[in-house]
Amino acid sequence: MTQPPPVLENEFETEDIFVNMGPQHPSTHGVFRMVLTIDGELITDVTPYVGYMHRGAEKLCETMDYRQGIGYMDRTEYLANFNAELSYVMAVERLAELEVPERATWIRMILCELNRLSSHFMFLGAFGTDVGVFGTAFVYGFRNREVIQDLFEEITGDRLMFAYFRAGGLAWEVPDNFETRVREVLKDSREGLRELDGLMTQNEIFRARTEGVGVITAEDAIDWGTSGPTLRASGVPMDIRRDEPYLFYDQVDFDVITGDHGDVFDRFYGRIREASESIKIIEQCLERLEPGPIVPDRLPRMLRTPAGEVYTRTEAPRGEYGIYLVSKGGNRPHRLKIRSACLSNLQALRDMTIGGYVADAVVILGSLDIVLCEVDR
Amino acid sequence: MTTDEPNGSAADSLDDTIWGAVDAALAGITADPERGAQDLIVFIPKGELTRGLRVLKSSEGLSFDYLRNLTAIDWEEEGIDVVYHLYSTEHRHNLTVKCHLDNDDLTLDTATTVWRAAGWLERETAEMFGVRFEGHPDPRPLLLPEDMDDTFPLRKDHPLAEIEVLQGEGIAYAEEAFE
Repeated sequence: MTQPPPVLENEFETEDIFVNMGPQHPSTHGVFRMVLTIDGELITDVTPYVGYMHRGAEKLCETMDYRQGIGYMDRTEYLANFNAELSYVMAVERLAELEVPERATWIRMILCELNRLSSHFMFLGAFGTDVGVFGTAFVYGFRNREVIQDLFEEITGDRLMFAYFRAGGLAWEVPDNFETRVREVLKDSREGLRELDGLMTQNEIFRARTEGVGVITAEDAIDWGTSGPTLRASGVPMDIRRDEPYLFYDQVDFDVITGDHGDVFDRFYGRIREASESIKIIEQCLERLEPGPIVPDRLPRMLRTPAGEVYTRTEAPRGEYGIYLVSKGGNRPHRLKIRSACLSNLQALRDMTIGGYVADAVVILGSLDIVLCEVDR
Repeated sequence: MTTDEPNGSAADSLDDTIWGAVDAALAGITADPERGAQDLIVFIPKGELTRGLRVLKSSEGLSFDYLRNLTAIDWEEEGIDVVYHLYSTEHRHNLTVKCHLDNDDLTLDTATTVWRAAGWLERETAEMFGVRFEGHPDPRPLLLPEDMDDTFPLRKDHPLAEIEVLQGEGIAYAEEAFE
């Protein structure tokens, strides 16, 4: 007769496990590390580590004249270069009291919105991979981004580091067929958005992975200083384009997209809808585009600003991209601070992740659409 | 602290700004206004800063609930200014708050008790300028290596590495360019 197995008298001892994610991890969108403390499948704590890409962009800008700094903006925010350049040149223009010609402003607006489109396509592709819509979404997203990127290359001569905006206007005139090309790109983008929307938003598995995950309330989102689609997904209608209009955003008609739940799905879907709004804005800009000068009549060879300070902020695809420029007079900034949207958005990661599942950590991080070069500067 | 003084009497030129409301809210706190190129700037002395920030956040008509940006400016021998850019999501107005620190006492109370957004921004300011934020819940360096605690890269006395010149021809040119 066999004995029954003895009853264990001791209780199970469990211990928290530390899981190190990154810095070399495909889903960290650059070089980002987070240490997850997990209890079974549940995340109990998150410690993010940034700074792997820190190159001292601010310090470098303080040693260069105003024109040279433009190139550095491209290198901090490499997925929304035009938006980054815009913040910088606007800061210089405001201090130097330069008047930007009308045509240059409309072109800037078109390019910034196109850049928002291309950045959101990049997000949709990369996010698809994070969630597990392997390959397909990525290829769709990149196909459409490439079309926009081609247009940028035709205009600026560079695929990524445009350096096309100048304090006062633009570096050179856009090609003759600019308007037709933009309309072609828009047609393509509209089609692409529709397909991606069908592929992802309508996908039941995708929704199961994203709905109700990584929720952050409006109060928390404001308190953490998040901005852009991340903040709007929590239902806060804050959009600098509408709240403090720059360029000619007060002359075009567009909606500020907000979400209801502040979850991953809202952050994702907000971007799809925002991309459609961008198309709407660009179409209105094209209607208003007229021939004219693209730089002011009197532009000094060496730009100098009087002593003073300014904090310009623009609505970049990832949120508020701000430039705090302090001048003591002369041709270079005394202090230049880049306000990174992703840095503040990343701070809120803790609130979103704790209490969730390990498998969702990647999805939540992906939904913030981080660019580590911008975080680390 | 800028090198220029505002023209004329400060109170006259600030009529179109939110200075009236800020002044009323900050009753009992020393606040010094100045017109910036874009936003109103208010100087608050170190001892009253946290109280001032808290008032600015909670006051009804101002409700600065959003900390846009936090950084510092090195004025070399004149000390360091810590700068707060505030925004109200409700009223959509902006305010810049500055606090001057002398070089021999670079400590300041943390603003994380007012906005959690200050957390990483203060960590960055601390490592870059050597300002110590008292009571910060997590005072580790943010961007710099952990052992780099004896030098503050964004101070003006911190040198930038020299550009490497590999060819003899370039030496004269490089020296000229960086003079």
